[in-house]
This record gives sequence, structure tokens and C-alpha cells, in this order.
Amino acid sequence: MCDDIEAEFEGGKVKRTMNLCRKGRAHYDSLSIDRLTPAVGGSEVRGEEAVTAAGELLAGAECPLLLGFGRSTLEAQKLGIELAKKLGSVIDDPTSRQGLIMERILKGEVPTCTFDDVRNYADVSIYWGDDPSSSHPRHLSRFSYFPRGEKRQRGYEEDREAIVIDVRRSPTATIAADGFFQVSPGGDAAFAEALLAALGGKIPKVEDKKRMLNLATKLRKAKFGAIFTGPGLADAQDGDLGWFFSLVARLNEFTRFSVIPSLPDYNTRGLHQSLFDVAGAVSPVSFEDGIASGPKFGVTGLLESFDAVLVVGSDPVANLPAPLARKLARIPMVAVGTHRNLTTDAASVTVPTAMAGLEAGGSALRSDGVRVDLEAQVKSDRPTDLQIVEMLMEVV
Amino acid sequence: MISIMDVYQLLPKTNCKKCGFPTCMAFAVELLGKRKAIEDCPPLVEEPKYEKKLAGLRELMAPLLSTEATETGMVIHPERCYGCGNCVVACPVNVASDPKGTAIGRGPVSGKAILMVEDGVVKCVNVDQCRRFGPEKVLCNACIVTCPSKAIEFI
Amino acid sequence: MAETEELLVVTYRGIFQEVEEALGIYSDSYREESAVLFLDGSDALGRKIEAGRPILLETSSGKVVVAAKISEEPHPGIAFMPRSPWSASLLPAEVGEGGLLQLKRFRARASPAGEAVTTIEEIGERIRVF
Repeated sequence: MCDDIEAEFEGGKVKRTMNLCRKGRAHYDSLSIDRLTPAVGGSEVRGEEAVTAAGELLAGAECPLLLGFGRSTLEAQKLGIELAKKLGSVIDDPTSRQGLIMERILKGEVPTCTFDDVRNYADVSIYWGDDPSSSHPRHLSRFSYFPRGEKRQRGYEEDREAIVIDVRRSPTATIAADGFFQVSPGGDAAFAEALLAALGGKIPKVEDKKRMLNLATKLRKAKFGAIFTGPGLADAQDGDLGWFFSLVARLNEFTRFSVIPSLPDYNTRGLHQSLFDVAGAVSPVSFEDGIASGPKFGVTGLLESFDAVLVVGSDPVANLPAPLARKLARIPMVAVGTHRNLTTDAASVTVPTAMAGLEAGGSALRSDGVRVDLEAQVKSDRPTDLQIVEMLMEVV
Repeated sequence: MISIMDVYQLLPKTNCKKCGFPTCMAFAVELLGKRKAIEDCPPLVEEPKYEKKLAGLRELMAPLLSTEATETGMVIHPERCYGCGNCVVACPVNVASDPKGTAIGRGPVSGKAILMVEDGVVKCVNVDQCRRFGPEKVLCNACIVTCPSKAIEFI
Repeated sequence: MAETEELLVVTYRGIFQEVEEALGIYSDSYREESAVLFLDGSDALGRKIEAGRPILLETSSGKVVVAAKISEEPHPGIAFMPRSPWSASLLPAEVGEGGLLQLKRFRARASPAGEAVTTIEEIGERIRVF
């Protein structure tokens, strides 16, 4: 999703890249590694045969489940939602809970901003359960900490503050140095409570009271704050995130603090936005009987009630808790994707697609909501996700 | 960075002058400045009782003597690098010479940047522009303290 | 008994593991980056676990064998593990408050293993066959 990448290709493989991080480079290198092949019942078939078999499997189902779509273009996501409507199925992206935060942002209940705003104005960046140095390597250098911006001309040492709240000293925490606050696993809400007390001028109930009070002073004096939420915040809570939203609201009484979730897939935000536009909610969304949403409709509910699964660009079999993965693998499954993985291994039908941004174009939303247009850089015979969903729409 | 004391501790500490300098400390300074080689200390190389010290000194000095070290003493460990570009964006030379590129977080555009990310890892070019280069060098460490993985060091 | 106490395992993602994931999940290098558990020194000692040796991790969801590593910083009672098919094999399947899964941490028993580190093919097979 970085727009300043230069790459040279040779024979369908990447040869040289500039400005692309290590993770991005591996993504480019994966053009020629473990690519998915079309198969039905374990036997290789022609691409069109796989699509036909996929359509038949889905059309014959009474209660199909659609998973993934975080790595699909906006166009494919929108049509995927139409397919879900047509099939009367449930659409879910079970491997991240950032949707809970995104839903509040899309509803306008939690303030947000763009990464360019962060670069231009933010003097305080809070990374909560978030290690972008590992997950989004250029996050700090392009936007959130190191670059110069309109109101941030003097460099990070003087102009910016990085606060990291995490259970471990992550690479991002190492960079933040004195700005690292370690919490115990599940201790985020207690930390927020202590911070709220300190913000209100009360003595926080923590070991190092002075440090917490200093943090509160820093945040109260901030001119423009940004909070980046990672899986350590979104996925790690036992209860709801009410405490987090309360803290954000309190901080906004002092100055604007915007929230941008660090999302797992390149177009997770696109999926959230597309679902929100149609259903007023983020996954899981059920089109079985009108439109409804909530955890009980997705894979965490009664997985046995689904009689077919369509997975697009995701690997739920590898990422879900094993007992759920086992249940999922027993349901007749169509896996559409770019690469072989544990889900495609378990699928009855596999349909290979082109890699968006490398072999195919389309558009996507960055996690701050900014639209990015992707272009094909190498030729490929593989169809796009959009073309596959179009074909499935015709068959079912 | 290798300290003079670390080097001194691994020398015979006899001030025998066989190296041509009056003290082992003076020889340590020359060694670090790459004006003398370990082999210029005859007792260390010839006498078996210094075997351990010799091995230790060779290990200590290895990064400094390797060909990978640029003239500023910068050593990049590509195997550790994330390609995040923190050093590229924080480098004061890049900021000054590439205001529309690296200074604002993007890839270099001016052709004058000295640090950049190629093939997923950082690379240093035009070393002579680094603040650590030349007789009037400054002990700048912008590229080191911003690194999440200790992929850059100066020796 | 310290050695029978469960460890609180917290998952995380590191860049080298994500790089190896992109370069192919069936490779030895992806397994080496993923199938590891970082233990506190005292926790390892109490369980007779040695650095680099295989350890068996068990929860009510399943069991896997991964390689033990000892952290430089102390974190008694807590262990860190890359988020991967190995950690997913151990995640609880029961939903908590609000009907949501806990995808980030779980309690597991850890002990020295007599067998080799579980391969991704074995994980896939267990999911598909059993």
C-alpha cells in the first residue's frame, strides 16, 4: 500500500526493489512461491472447471458461510457482499477483532484522521498493543514518528513523543525507549483506569505513580494525538472495549486524539467500510433473514449450522483455534486465493487468483480510510478475485 | 563501538616497546585507528601464553577490520534489517539534502540521500557525505538509535 | 509444584516470521520462526526445559511440540509465542464475554518433549483427519 515503491521484474519474478520494506519484499517474492492451483476433490482441473464446481457447491447449500475478503480489492468485496445477499449467507472475518473499533469509527463515535494528518500535526503517537515496526515496518518512518511534517519541522527528538503500551518490549517499544509502559497480559483496562485517574488529577493506583502522572501531563499538553491500536489491544480483551472508548473520549476533552487501528490485511478497512455501507455494521453480518450482525452469526456461533464455506484470500484453518478449525474443515469448502495454505489444503474446491497490486489492479482502502488505486505490474493468466466472484454470481 | 580499554585489556600490558610505541595503551590507540595491525605486536602473536588474549582481540577487532565496514566505520547487518527506513528518514544528511523525499518519510527523490532501502534492506551510498566522515567528523548516531533491530553499528 | 503450573502464553507477531510466512508456510524456515516458545529462565529451569530443545505444549484444544527459547528479560509465569498455526492449535475455542474468542493468549502446560517439533503438515493433517 506504499505508493513510492519502485520495482523491476524479470520473467514474472521481482528482480530489484527500492523503498520496499523487508515484509513487502517477501510479498513481492511470493509471486513465484507456493501458488495455488485449480483443483476439485484433490485432483487438478482447468480453472473454469474449478469455478463451475465452486458455484455448484455454493448454489446447492442452504446455509453458506463466506470468510475472508480482507485481501480482496474494494470491487471484489462489494460484489462479494452482493453474493452473500444472493446466497442468504453470513460474511465473517474471524481472525481479527479490530472491526469492533472500526465500527465505532465508521459510526462517527470515535475520532479518526489520516496518516498524512498524523505526519503533519501529531506530536504524540500512542501505540497500544501495537508493534508496527514489525507488522507495518514503514509506519513510523513514513507517518507516525520520524518524518517532518507541516507543523512538525524539527524532527522527532524535539517535535514528537512516542508512547508504547504493551505486554512485552517489542521492537517499537525499543524505539520509544522511555515512552514504553509495560502492562501485564489483560492489564490494559487497569492501566487505562490509572491513566484516567491521573488525567483527572487524582493519584493513580499503580506502582510508579510519578511516571503515570508525567504521562497524563504529557497527554494533557498534547496538541494533536494519534492512537494506533494493534492486536494486543483489540484481540486480547476478555470483555468489551468500553474502557478504551471512555479513555479516548476523556483525552478528547483536552485536545483531539484520533484513533487508527493497525489492520492485518491490506484491505481490511475496505471490507469494514463495504460491510458498514450495506449493513451499518462490521463483520460478522448475516443476510440469511434480512440483515443482522453480531458475533453469534459468525464462526464463533454454531459452526455446525453452515453447510458450505467460501473462503476468499484467507487462511482461517491455520488461524482459528484448533477445535473450530477442525469443525470448519469438515464443511464442504471452496477456497479462492493466491497461495496454497492450510485452508486450501482442506478445501474441496480451490480457485487460484492473481495478486492484487502485482498481477492485477483494483482499489483498496488504507487503514486510515484513504483510497489507493492498485495497478498490475506483471502479466498473469490468473483471474482476479472480482472475476471469480462475477462468475460465481452467474452460476448461483 | 569498541573502546580503547577493551583493546588494552587484551594486549600483553608489558610496555615492551617492540611495536615501536612506548606503551601498550599507545599501541591500542594505533590499533583502533587502523594504523597498526594486531600482528605488529610480536609477543602477542609469538608467545603461547597470550593465545587467549590474541583470539579475544581478533574477535573484538573483526568487525572493524572486515571489508563491510565503510570508511565512516558504519557496519550494516542486512540479516537483521527490517527495511523500515527509520534510519533513512531520521538521517540528518538525508533530511537536509532530500527535503521532498526522505525528510517527509518517502523514498529518496533528490539523488543525494546517503541511506536508502533497496531489496528490502538498508544500504549506504555516498559515504563521504555522512557526518562521521572526514577529519571533522561528528559522532552522529541518528541511524542507530532509530533502528528497531540493531542492524546498524559504528565501530 | 512449579513444574506442573500452567504458563500464560501470549502470542505476538515478528517481522521475520511474517517474512517467512510470505515466502512459503511449508518451509523449514517458517517452522523455525513460528514453532518456538520464549520462556522465562526460572520457568524453564523449574520444568527442566533446556534452550533449543523440543517442548510439549498442551491445552484443552490440542498439543504441539515447539522449540524452547529462553528470554533475556525476565517474565516469570508468562511465555511468548509467535501467532501461527502452532499457537492456533492451542487457542481456546470457547467464546468469552460478548461472544468473542480470545485470540491472543491461553494457559498451557509445558514440559520437555521426547519427540521432534510438530510440522505444519502434521498440524494440517490433525485438523483435516480427526
